[in-house]
Amino acid sequence: MQEPELHDLSDDADYAASIEQGCATRSESSKPSSSSASSEPEGAEIVYTKDNVTIHPTQYASERISGRLKLIKQVNGNALFMTWIPYKGQSSNTKLSEKDKNLYTIRAVPFSNIRSIRRHTPTLGWQYIIVVMSSGLAFPPLYFYNGGVREFLATIKQHVFLVRSSEDANVFLVNDFQTPLQRTLSSLELPRAVSVENFPPPTPAANEDLSTADQERGVLDKSSVSFQQNGRQRQIHHDPARDLSIQVLEKFSLVTRFARETTSQLFRDSPMDGFTPNEGRKHGQLSPVYHQVTPSNDSPKVPDEVSVASDPVEFDKLSLVWGKPRQSPLGQEEWTTFLDAEGRVMDSKALKKRIFYGGVEHNLRNEVWTFLLGYHAYDSTYAEREYLMSVKKSEYDIIKKQWQSISPEQAKRFTKFRERKGLIDKDVVRTDRSLSFYDGDDNPNVYLLRDILLTYSFYNFDLGYCQLVELLDSPLHNYFKQNDCLNYFFCFRWILIQFKREFKYDTTMRLWEVLWTHYLSEHLHLYVCVAILKRYRSKIMGEQMDFDTLLKFINELSGQIDLDAILRDAEALCICAGENGAASIPPGTPPSLPLEDASIYAQQEEDDVL
Amino acid sequence: MPSRRRALLKVIILGDSGVGKTSLMNQYVNKKFSNQYKATIGADFLTKEVQFEDRLFTLQIWDTAGQERFQSLGVAFYRGADCCVLVYDVNVMKSFDNLNNWREEFLIQASPSDPENFPFVVIGNKIDVDGGNSRVVTLSFSLSLCVRVSEKKARAWCASKGNIPYFETSAKEGTNVEDAFQVIAKNALKSGEEEEIYLPDTIDVGSSSQQRSTGCEC
Repeated sequence: MQEPELHDLSDDADYAASIEQGCATRSESSKPSSSSASSEPEGAEIVYTKDNVTIHPTQYASERISGRLKLIKQVNGNALFMTWIPYKGQSSNTKLSEKDKNLYTIRAVPFSNIRSIRRHTPTLGWQYIIVVMSSGLAFPPLYFYNGGVREFLATIKQHVFLVRSSEDANVFLVNDFQTPLQRTLSSLELPRAVSVENFPPPTPAANEDLSTADQERGVLDKSSVSFQQNGRQRQIHHDPARDLSIQVLEKFSLVTRFARETTSQLFRDSPMDGFTPNEGRKHGQLSPVYHQVTPSNDSPKVPDEVSVASDPVEFDKLSLVWGKPRQSPLGQEEWTTFLDAEGRVMDSKALKKRIFYGGVEHNLRNEVWTFLLGYHAYDSTYAEREYLMSVKKSEYDIIKKQWQSISPEQAKRFTKFRERKGLIDKDVVRTDRSLSFYDGDDNPNVYLLRDILLTYSFYNFDLGYCQLVELLDSPLHNYFKQNDCLNYFFCFRWILIQFKREFKYDTTMRLWEVLWTHYLSEHLHLYVCVAILKRYRSKIMGEQMDFDTLLKFINELSGQIDLDAILRDAEALCICAGENGAASIPPGTPPSLPLEDASIYAQQEEDDVL
Repeated sequence: MPSRRRALLKVIILGDSGVGKTSLMNQYVNKKFSNQYKATIGADFLTKEVQFEDRLFTLQIWDTAGQERFQSLGVAFYRGADCCVLVYDVNVMKSFDNLNNWREEFLIQASPSDPENFPFVVIGNKIDVDGGNSRVVTLSFSLSLCVRVSEKKARAWCASKGNIPYFETSAKEGTNVEDAFQVIAKNALKSGEEEEIYLPDTIDVGSSSQQRSTGCEC
């Protein structure tokens, strides 16, 4: 029944051999065609052929398209290509025209343009693979009606660098980068964070006969967005990362080093390995064609939510990988359920977890932050807190009186005080003055802030005054210096003031309370850095931003970042990194909150999570 | 040459915290003033196209953080500077006294090829501030700390450092800002050209005899 192929590499489906289609009921195995090699162009060698590899553009059996999958190796250039050519003239009562089939044809895609291959080998039903391009776009699932996925992958492995993702045992990453650094940066982008925006949508002409198919051709898996490409587009787009010079990469310094530890973990053993095979089975049972198209890369639809039939525990773990959906903030009513009759927080871990995922309603911050910031102990009672407050208040007043009592005459002979005060005066008039709380001339709140800063400066005069949060600077700076990473300016501001300039005021408060929970990690802010860079990686690399441009770009991200999405990414990175991620952060790296006793809380949390 | 790249002139603004570095840059580039600038953290820059004798240049003006603790971060963006602007607040003596430190720090970190002749420009800013009536000073207890730096003293210092051009400005009102940056750009250009003499273009022989902006695709 098999006929030799008659086309060459430049052919489209019209030239493809007319071969009996492989329909859904076929199950006998077919031998790889070896007779076709002679028909290939000179200099190319077919290293793998598989018949009856089929795509399912819709859920209708009648609209399946079978074809022949081949791996072709260039003899001279050593490059490996993949082709999938539909059989001509399918005999079924198909509604699909030849034009449609042409649309799905995969013409000589070089493996240098392929990022990963996801394999699905369900115990019931057909094996299939999903090929994801470097651009993040994916071809529809290719169903191996006659089996042979393992052989397919094994063949690829003989010719290109193929590594199994530790994040998902069923994902094989095609990675031909030369240096570990390049590999690391390439891996910075988790599979999901792909952008469709850079790609022109399918032309209406190409889609006019496919409206149903188009709607139902769904997300293939969470690592990609299904998107029909025509041959021309495939020619144009390639992974910008490959054009990236090492010099530009090195500008990533801080995050690079950190991300190297973090993301290289993605390629090795990870806690998630234990359940990924189950995920494969689940997806196998649920035909991917029922999944909906995810329109863009922001607030990605969690594919796991579609899998309603799955085990709830498994679901829980799985969604963690991608960061759980964010929740609404903790409100008054719920807050009281955390307290016992005398006001103790009964389960501080649960509280911190709750705040990690949703934050706190604004009117509660006054109260709840006192715990997060270590001012009150979680097991303190209302009465104890009230007492502590009064003690602290009088301490504050005493110290405040100290500097208030310095007369102008005395100040003239008190240079250190004058300088300190001068700095604070300069800063308070340029702190959040656009907020209604601080705006306008002679706003009493500005004086209040001045008083607090100056009083704190007297409380801890040796510390010095350092523009609010510069406590973080010194150890962090030393860390970078030790690692020859002084080029981290582009995210220096992020860390130094904990993203305060990157978000609107209320969003910043949300981020801070999440960081302060130290749930998952006391260094979540570092994962947030990585998450942001990861999200903009393709832009940064694609435009080959140099140091200046990158700094400018990062500075101008201010106000553009979607906090919820970033927090989910950061959570996922943090979990993926696991213990090794934590170990890669040098001792002494400040936590997201400069509290002496902050590490105590973090320790508890790690036990809880890991 | 249709897509000729314009020559880039890199200018670094240094000076104590709060002397008005960001304000000067914004007044010059955007013709705007706000008294609600935030303290600069790290660094940022703005660019402006400038024209000299029918040649267009991109002036890249780097605004830096004035906080002492950030100074060690300077090296990454001091490099390659064509001109350095030293700013002080005419109302704050200390900010003037610190100019020397800023200058030396810059020369160490940027290590220009010819430190003796590297172009600096000194700007005494906030000349609009009227002897203690500004908001800053109101907050400062109305202490009589603001001994205005005399222009004479400032010019003397500039002269002693190799005749550094000196300007007194108000970033708030725009006074003298344009003039100061004209000189800054001109000196940056001169600096860049001198460098070019030391390091002649060895790749494109044809254009090396011409002016810098023609045919430079580098």
